[in-house]
Parts: sequence; structure tokens; C-alpha cells
Amino acid sequence: MVSYPARGVIRPVMNLIKLKEFSILKQLYLEEKLLRSSSENWCIINNGTKQPTIVMGVSGRPSELVNINSVIRDQIPVIRRFSGGGTVIVDNGTIFVTLICNKDDIPGLQPYPRPIMSWTGQFYGEVLREFGDFHLRENDYAFGSRKFGGNAQSITKNRWVHHTSFLWDYDVSNMDYLKLPMRAPEYRSARSHVEFLCRMKEILPSKSTFIEGTIETLGSHFSVRPIQSNAATNLSNISHPPSTRLLTRPELEQALLSASENSDTNSSIYAVP
Amino acid sequence: MRWFSSQAWVDVPTGGVVEVPLAQTGEGIAECELLKWFVEEGDQVEEFQRLCEVQSDKATIEITSRFKGKVLQILFVPGDIVKVGETLLKILVEDTPSSLDTQSPLTSVSDFAGVDCESSSDAEEEIVGGILATPAVRHLAKQHGININDIRGTGKDGRVLKEDILNFVSSKITSQEPPSISRTIIDEDELELLNNGKTLNMNFVENQHYEDKTIPLRGYQRSMVKSMSMAAKVPHFHYLEEINCDALVDLKAAFQSGNTDQNVKHTFLPFLIKALSAALSKYPLLNSSFHEEANEVIVKGWHNIGVAMATPYGLVVPNIKKVQSLSVLEITKELSRLQLLASNNKLSSEDITGGTITLSNIGAIGGKFGSPLLNLPEVAIIAIGRIHKLPRYDDDDETIYPASVTNVTIGADHRVVDGATVARFCNEWKLLIEKPELLLLHMR
Repeated sequence: MVSYPARGVIRPVMNLIKLKEFSILKQLYLEEKLLRSSSENWCIINNGTKQPTIVMGVSGRPSELVNINSVIRDQIPVIRRFSGGGTVIVDNGTIFVTLICNKDDIPGLQPYPRPIMSWTGQFYGEVLREFGDFHLRENDYAFGSRKFGGNAQSITKNRWVHHTSFLWDYDVSNMDYLKLPMRAPEYRSARSHVEFLCRMKEILPSKSTFIEGTIETLGSHFSVRPIQSNAATNLSNISHPPSTRLLTRPELEQALLSASENSDTNSSIYAVP
Repeated sequence: MRWFSSQAWVDVPTGGVVEVPLAQTGEGIAECELLKWFVEEGDQVEEFQRLCEVQSDKATIEITSRFKGKVLQILFVPGDIVKVGETLLKILVEDTPSSLDTQSPLTSVSDFAGVDCESSSDAEEEIVGGILATPAVRHLAKQHGININDIRGTGKDGRVLKEDILNFVSSKITSQEPPSISRTIIDEDELELLNNGKTLNMNFVENQHYEDKTIPLRGYQRSMVKSMSMAAKVPHFHYLEEINCDALVDLKAAFQSGNTDQNVKHTFLPFLIKALSAALSKYPLLNSSFHEEANEVIVKGWHNIGVAMATPYGLVVPNIKKVQSLSVLEITKELSRLQLLASNNKLSSEDITGGTITLSNIGAIGGKFGSPLLNLPEVAIIAIGRIHKLPRYDDDDETIYPASVTNVTIGADHRVVDGATVARFCNEWKLLIEKPELLLLHMR
């Protein structure tokens, strides 16, 4: 159920880290660290990641989700992140926004997947409604029925992470590295990547419109405290090993091998439109 | 959106093996993938310690223990799909000295291992010997020479508060019998007795005295607090109509006299449910759910008609699925099945989720008018009053005769439905109840 911003009441603090072209692998390490070792609220906004990278969910199997041959050939990094959800290929056209919150700091919000999805959906609705026909469709953000943002979560006893990869822009040829997922939301209706997705840059005037709009909306729910990025991103004091991992080449080759052993027909190399 | 944090209230034996199931983690989530365990068989676990991590769709969720004890058996391995309600692991819950006290009510847990919805935020509190209390409170008990295990905590989750110690001390001084607590905690059985209006038998000492009783809200009662608070925020309007039940009374009598199955008892409700479904087919907007944040109304296909039931454990609304595809007899049997489960507190999460509209047959107990609160995210709820005899005019508009009538109140979400729609819908339903033969026109 939706909660309402607490006006006239002391709002909880939300630390804000703004990054540009920060490595998505390091961003995920940072998120995990903040989730597990901090007791404060954090918002991380990362404007793009330098290198095209594939990010799978926690139980993602490369053989099912990724065209391994081309990934190995082109040396595309493949990461398995700590949160659930599906597979994306991200690059410098992706805007990442992550919210890490104490469950008690949003009044009335229950720390379960659907309520959090609903609350964050409403949050981004506030940011984006004036620009387009914004919808939370199942677990995606869409304009109309075209997805421009994918979400994933990780929930612990008292805290939760909800992170989104927003497609400001994407390179169509990168989509070829991904297979059509076996589990897809109903509203996808078997559309190809290109027919299903939408570029935010066709709807909003600039990246900073979105980023600043998000920060402003954040301010209506929280007391935003900007943090110097170099201070925050010092990862040398990670206390426990992160679950997020970059898959090694031997692992990818092994996945390819076991996939072809298991399947009767060869898995297609290129995504089927 | 609605969620139940616990599917059913589980009696926790103090001292004994507990089967810890995967608790419901939100509406509509039926199963999760087990990702990893943080404990092994044989490990000691503390209350609130992480047990495992599961994945449901887009979320990874850590599951923490509600008990202190020893892990006896782990029933799933990483990669397995676990249905909500299936047992994840078995824990041997430790005996505490208070478990030897046969009067001691269950002061721990109202929901089992799952994502905590309420947990201790006071890091100072300790759990020693199964009793939750701050060090200051323990010290106070020691000062008074009291064994803290003898005290029933009236704080959240049964923790012992300073007042409990002081009350204990003062009642100890005034009584000659073994100490009685002047503020008693009521357990579920006593709650049932209260609800049934019988007087309680308390630990009386010299004179009878009427004391305040504190009832910590658990299980269904706690759910009711949450769901009604949310429902109160919705702009309701209520529509009242009188329905002539003569034909319905005759119908029920006909069912009963033609009934060859001893296990089936015919009541009014199944026909009312079937007629409701027929009316909904004509006015499907009343069978929808409103999602505020997306500003959308989802018109539901199947009629999953919820029936509010008052059980000894509280108000619960299981629903009969796909009423369009059921006959009146099948509805009768399904209703009976759900009633039995409800009275034994054995409804599954499948039974209580997925409802699309709710009926409240409050008339079975009494009453003429009501203003029922919506069962969110549904947009309509119907309260049916008592069927009773009143003088009414016959069809010729001249003769007065004793008619069986009932009042129904339809509560609806005025953001989604307007009065005219509800009125037409109700007229349709009323017509089918007053002239049941018309239902034959719609029968497939």
C-alpha cells in the first residue's frame, strides 16, 4: 500500500551519492556494502557505466540468458548481482538509480516485494508523469506499454534495496548478446527487445531533467544529504565478501559446454526477433 | 494492496519441534526459489538470526528465525522451489523455565519465520532464558527478589516491562494466595469466551474485583487493524436496498426436501452467491480491483467471491474461486469446506487471497443495516442483514401479507464506481433473488 510523504514532520535522512560513468560492478559492490553494513538510507545515482556489461540476477544461468559465444568473442563482462530479477545489458546510455532504505523510515511501508515495488513505482510516477504515460507494469517501468526501466530488489530483516536501470539510450546491436528470456512479463506479449523497449531520450529533454527531477522528488520524502562521491566509494573496508560477482571466462566456457551437452537442439546464437 | 503477514496463527509449543514454513511474503507470491542457507543442521540459532535467503521474482529476501533453538532438519537445498506454506526447516525450540507453568499463555510470536514485519528495534533488550526484558527490568526484578520467569510480560511480543514487575510486587503483597497478576494477559481461548459473552473465571483471591485486561493483538486481529485502517482511507458510499426473500425461502426449503446427501446442509448463502455472480457478469466493474499508484482499475475475469466469517480467532474472509463455473450445490460444499477450515484456523493462503468481491452475512447473527468497510483492493462489499417477516403489499398492491425481507447494504469505492452503477447492479441481483427462475435463463 502506498505511503504518503510525511509533511511537516521531521523527514528521515537520505544520503545521496551522484556518480558518473562509475563501473557497475563497483556500484553493486558499494550497494551490497551499504545494505549490509550501514544503518542509514542511501540513494545512488550513476549516470552511465563506461563499458557495455551484462548484469544477471542472483540465480541467473548464463546459458539460458546470454549468447555466450558472442559474449566471449567480444569480451563482454558478465556480472551476477546480489538482487533477484532478470538480465540487462547496460552501458553509458543507462542511468542507474538505487534506493537503500531502513524499513521503518517509510511510514506504512511493509518490507515485502510488492509494497516496495508499488511505493517506488509511485515515486517515479511523481518524477515522470508530466513527461509521458508512465506505468508500473508488473515489475517494470513503462511509457505506454514499452519498458524503459527494469527493477530488482534485495530485502533483509530491517532494510531493503530497490535498484533500477533506466534506459536513457541503448545500442540495438548490444541486445544481440541477450537471449529472449524464458520468463517474461505478460505485457511483453512475445515482442522482440526492440519492440518492447523504449528510450527515455525520446520522451525527456535531457538526462539531467530526469536526474534532478528524481532528486527533487526524493527531497519531498526525505531530508537529502549529498555525500562526496570519493568518500563514499572507498570500498577498501568491505567487511564481508560480496555476493555480486564478475563471472570468469572459464565459468562462461563451462556454462556453454554444459548447455550444449544438456540441450537436444543447439541453442540459437542470435536472439530470435 | 492487501497482504497478510501470516497465513494462520500457529501454536508454538514452548519446548518442542517447530516446523518453520515459508511465510507469505506479500500478495500473490505463491512460491520462492531457495538461494542459500546461512545455517546447518545442528547449529544453534537465536531469535532474529538469518536462516536463509530466497528469491521471489525480482526480489531476494532474507528469512530470519522467530525462535531460539537448534536446527534439526533442513528440508530444501539451494535451487529448490518452495511453495509458500511448505516447511523449510525444523527447529527444536528450547525449553524455558516458564514452560513448566501450565497457565502460561503463549507470549511469543504471532507469525512464523518470514520477513519480519515487527521486530525488536530496541537493541538493548536481551532474550535470556526465553524471557524478553531490558537489563534495567531484570535488575528491578532481582531487587525485589522475584524470578523474572514467573512474570507474564505485557509488552510487545510478551516482553516484561517495569510495570509488570511493580504490579506483580503489589499484588504479591495484597494477596495470600500464590500471586495473581493484576493485569492479566488473555490468551486465545479466553478471547473466544469474551467474544461469546461468558464471564471469565479469574484467579480470585479474597474479594471479586473487576480489572482491566490487556489483549495483545495477534494473527487475524492484528491483520484486521491494518486492513481496516487502510480501508478507512477509501471514500466509501453505501447503498441500501430491501430484498423480498419469499422465493428464496421456498427455494431453500425445496433444496432441503429434495436433499439426499446427509452431509450437505442447505442455507441461503450459496444461492445468493450464485445470483451475485450472475449480476456481476452484467456489471463487471463491481468485480474489479483498484490500483491507486498506477491509477488503473483491473476488471477481474473470474468471480472469486469472499465470504466474511467470524471465527474464534477473529474476522477472516476466505473466497470461493471461479463462481461462474460452479453450481449452487458445488458452492454449498465449498462454503462448508471453508467454514470448517476457518473455525479450526486452518485456512491456507490460497483460500484467503485472490478475492474479487466480498459478502458479509452479518444477518446470520443479527442486524438490519450495516456500513461495511471494503476489503481492499476490491471495490465493492455487500452486507446482508437478517431475514425477517414484515408486513408488505402483495403484487396486487392491495393485500398486506407477511413477507420475508432482508436489507442489503452495498459498500463501494466511490473513486471507481458511481451510485447509478451500483443501483443497477443491485437491481439485477435483487431481481434474481426475488425471481430465482430467471437464473435458468443464464444457466450454462
